Amino acid sequence: MNRATIDGKTITAPEGHTILDAATESGIEIPTLCWYPGLSVVGNCRICLVSVDGAEKLIPACAAPIEDGMKIETRSPAAVDNRRSVLSLLLERYPTTNLDAGAEPANIFESYLADYGVKPTTANQRELPLRSGDERPDDPMIRHDMSTCILCTRCVRACEETQVVGVLDTAERGGVTQIIVGTDGDPDKASCTWCGECVRVCPTNAIFEFLPRERFGEELKATDKVARSVCPFCGVGCQIDLHAKDDTIVRVTSPAPTEITPNDGSTCVKGRFGYDFTSHEDRLNKPLIRKGWEKENDRWEWRGGTDSLRRTGPWQTIEGEGATMKPAAPPRRQGKRLKDLPLLERTAEVSANRVATPIDWYEPFREATWEEAFELTAQELTRIHEDDGPDGLAVFASAKCTNEENYLLQRLFRARFGTNNIDHCTRMCHATSVSAMSDTLATAAASGSMREVEHASDVIFIAGANTAETHPVFGAALKRAHERGAKLVVADPRKVELAARADVHLQMTPGTDVALFNGMLNHVFAMQLEDTDFITKRVKNIDAIRQSVEPYTPERASAITGIPAELIREAAEIYAGGPNTSTLWAMGLTQHLRGHDMVISLLNLILCCGMIGRWGAAMMPVRGQNNVQGASDMGAIPFVYPDYQPVADPANREKFSRAWGVDPETMSLTPGMKVTEIAKKGSPVRALYIMGENPIISDPDIARAEEWFSKVDFLAVQDLFLTETARYADVVLPGAAFSEKSGTYVNTERRIQVTEKAVNPPGEALADWEIVTEISKRCGLESPFESPDEIMEEINSLAPSWTGVSYERLKGAGLQYPVPAMDHPGTSFLFPETFPTDDGLANLHPVEYAPPDELPDDEFPYVMSTGRQLYHWHTGTMTRRSAGLDQREPTPTIEINPEDAAELGVKDGDLVKVTSKRNSIVISTRTSFRVAPKQVFVPFHFREAAANLLTNPVLESHAKMPELKITAVRIEPV
Amino acid sequence: MQEAAEYQSVFVGAAREKLDDIMSRYPTKRAALLPALWIVQEERDWIPEGAMIEIAELLDITAAQVKGVATFYTMYHKHPVGENFIQVCTTSPCNVCGAENVVKALLKETGCGELGATSPDGKFTITEVECLGACGFATPIMVNDDFLDSVTMETVPEVVARYRDGKATG
Ligand code: SF4
Ligand code: SF4
Ligand code: FES
Ligand code: FES
Repeated sequence: MNRATIDGKTITAPEGHTILDAATESGIEIPTLCWYPGLSVVGNCRICLVSVDGAEKLIPACAAPIEDGMKIETRSPAAVDNRRSVLSLLLERYPTTNLDAGAEPANIFESYLADYGVKPTTANQRELPLRSGDERPDDPMIRHDMSTCILCTRCVRACEETQVVGVLDTAERGGVTQIIVGTDGDPDKASCTWCGECVRVCPTNAIFEFLPRERFGEELKATDKVARSVCPFCGVGCQIDLHAKDDTIVRVTSPAPTEITPNDGSTCVKGRFGYDFTSHEDRLNKPLIRKGWEKENDRWEWRGGTDSLRRTGPWQTIEGEGATMKPAAPPRRQGKRLKDLPLLERTAEVSANRVATPIDWYEPFREATWEEAFELTAQELTRIHEDDGPDGLAVFASAKCTNEENYLLQRLFRARFGTNNIDHCTRMCHATSVSAMSDTLATAAASGSMREVEHASDVIFIAGANTAETHPVFGAALKRAHERGAKLVVADPRKVELAARADVHLQMTPGTDVALFNGMLNHVFAMQLEDTDFITKRVKNIDAIRQSVEPYTPERASAITGIPAELIREAAEIYAGGPNTSTLWAMGLTQHLRGHDMVISLLNLILCCGMIGRWGAAMMPVRGQNNVQGASDMGAIPFVYPDYQPVADPANREKFSRAWGVDPETMSLTPGMKVTEIAKKGSPVRALYIMGENPIISDPDIARAEEWFSKVDFLAVQDLFLTETARYADVVLPGAAFSEKSGTYVNTERRIQVTEKAVNPPGEALADWEIVTEISKRCGLESPFESPDEIMEEINSLAPSWTGVSYERLKGAGLQYPVPAMDHPGTSFLFPETFPTDDGLANLHPVEYAPPDELPDDEFPYVMSTGRQLYHWHTGTMTRRSAGLDQREPTPTIEINPEDAAELGVKDGDLVKVTSKRNSIVISTRTSFRVAPKQVFVPFHFREAAANLLTNPVLESHAKMPELKITAVRIEPV
Repeated sequence: MQEAAEYQSVFVGAAREKLDDIMSRYPTKRAALLPALWIVQEERDWIPEGAMIEIAELLDITAAQVKGVATFYTMYHKHPVGENFIQVCTTSPCNVCGAENVVKALLKETGCGELGATSPDGKFTITEVECLGACGFATPIMVNDDFLDSVTMETVPEVVARYRDGKATG
């Protein structure tokens, strides 16, 4: 500890702290321009200079470490004098329009000018031209006005150090020093990800968000509310600030990096620029009821014709759409110019060709009052329950809605209707991880935190996760970890960004992961690299594992996976060598017929190497949606109550029925059906309630799913838009977006975070928890909730890991569960001593490699995988209605190796027809070396070329997960 | 990310070997940046953007960083230049001795017309530079790697003529 005085105040500061750190700590403000929290210190602006007793010259506070006995004056005459001259020199080349008008300072630089009373020289006395630099003209989201650049280089460092991209730099040093974008001004070519980190750090708004300025010029200046929220786009759970004016969100910023947030204040492009879907014209603002439902003598009757005709609306089915040819896509690099793309108004052209809901989709519906919608829904759910019993009903909860909403929904169906037929899209993403982790470790969530992976892991092993695109903020953290020296080993059939920068990229034949992990484990045992101590103390069944992996020599694994045996050996040695290895995986592992086995074999590797249960050795299934973890935690899965309390256990039934005020005998002890079983021919379900899910785009083999949906007796859909699925509904209930309600979400590291409502839902739309509460009441289930925090009180009384959760405590960074008591700080990593199994030991299960269901053959020679892209999210309902995001990725494209493209005679932008055993789509070509020859990748965000028309509905046996990652297809030019 | 049609790799064959050899002498790859730029200039006479991207990929740095460095030094040409690249000192001491007239004469004699432009026959590009360290022998100029001192308005035609027919050494 050093003792010093700053402006007469005695302070102590730990070794290594700078004068600036110490001053900030004790509440003394020193102006800074080039310094920014978390970025490297360059000390080039000289505005922070302070006087230090005995020093000949002024000292830069941002760079100089504090020393014992220093006497510092931050506002000595010399220091203030220096600041004035620094400011006036910068001002010599800075536009003075705003200052001349006597307006409020527009940025931190201008407020320093005001603070220090520095006035510009009059225009005609100026000798130097304004600064210039690369401008990003026509960019849909980020623009530059380099005349206000003061060359602090914050943007350069933020892009390079925080985001590890490196788009920007300073060039032409000398009189015309300037910030450049790549070598030729094209951000795309320079790999920009539009994250907006540069926007955030720029002290003069030389780099600024274009969309908000374009749309809300004046409103931006006088926002009336800032609400802390959580980004709705992925499992990282970035905290963001929503700025509202007149009940509209006008811009999004991210918290200061000095605050503790899971994102350290960064966001990706979706978080910062993807908020405008909330005010898209397509938002539903009144309930809709299918024409044909009429009310007579207090009862709703269907008068619309026979059952089979009920849902044959005037629309084209997805199947029909998928095969039709679409106009050629604009080449990606150009995107659409903003002026060519109406932002909020829907024109005929837009609705016909782009993302907006086609007008004719509304045609089979009429607008209704909430009273009608609630009545009809309650009546039909109750009627079908009476006629068919509990199994006649099912519900899809939502990985995009809050914990409270998911909780209420499962509560309604379990307590009132006695069914466990409740599930959500986790079935399509991590269900096999959950089944595998439950079998092995009796757990269903990540063991560790993102922070430990970033800062404490020596090795990061990523299997089947395109983190840089699907979880970009975590992806950036992984890149920072790699920069600090952590080793990166990536197993992925595609050469995605992290694979390309990995120390070892294991580029395998799709679907051969079990052989790879068994092969790595074989080598670990052969070299005696396993953690024997951990194995003795913490796992069971090791002999069976040793035996089972014995035949998987690296050579044999190589023959199956196509990865050179040498690389398998190297990866195994790096993995086991750690000392601290974190293991990440996602859909690349789970969405397979053998997904459960793949995760099991990865867990075997983790456990035999002892890479779990300490800081730096995290086991992390990376969760895809903003609340897929929370929806599962809330019991929105068929076999457990909230907090994973099995429904089959009568004691749990007793406990929950008491809390929910119903007779235990009316609640079911049988685990319910899963998403993939519910919407399937022959399922007994006749009434389905869907909250915020869009299975018509996300289910495998959509055409078949569509058929089921068109026949179900009663379908209620609660959503923001008239989605592909909602078209089949009897009742559509307009819900609220993330910004229009408060509630809690759980991110991929078990962190429960609370959001604040920023604006009201449009029109008559209601918060989803309000809708579910009302329906619960009308169905006769007591639901005395007035606000989300009251729901949380009920949750934490029933979920032991959530006992210590309250809205008050969640403010700030949130809490990582388990939080078993009100004074418990939460748990950043799990299993230091034991696992939650009965005997505390991990159960290893030997698994064998088996090939995927659909192998390529002469007729279908390509292997297609599906997944997400940086600019879109899931079924595209939100991101495709966001102007900036949609312009970056306006059309569906198929990634295809240039070699294959040449063979097919197609080039970028050409349309091809992709056909599987089930269906065809027409889609434009994007050649890329990311995919290996004879493999292709199709994103599933796009209705007009819905990847899931092609996918294979075959189900994994433990978790009933479809094999979305492997479809054999044929490709023909059209 | 190069479009093969529009850009031909510089670092193939001997040039690549040379770069590899240089890289092996330094603890970090990026240390080879200046020599890598020289190699490009030797091979192509100037440094096209494609080459900056190629260097960035080879040295594991960003393309913007390469450009940042390349633009820092006047001796790297960011635009195509004539066969003979002439640098004239116009810093004050030489200026008072008539450097400006030398520049004018050079522009006229070579046909360049203006600084930085290349003459229509593709033979010359002229630029002004700061002190060449020969203040006692004003006005010094550099033609390619050749150093010529005491150049005057009058001697310019002879100098230009000498270089017009190939890069003769002076
Ligand atoms: S948007 Fe992000 S990636 Fe692009 S230049 Fe700015 S910081 Fe770099
Ligand atoms: S653009 Fe902004 S952040 Fe970048 S150097 Fe200029 S003033 Fe600094
Ligand atoms: S803030 Fe210290 S020198 Fe710029
Ligand atoms: S001033 Fe011309 S050489 Fe020094």
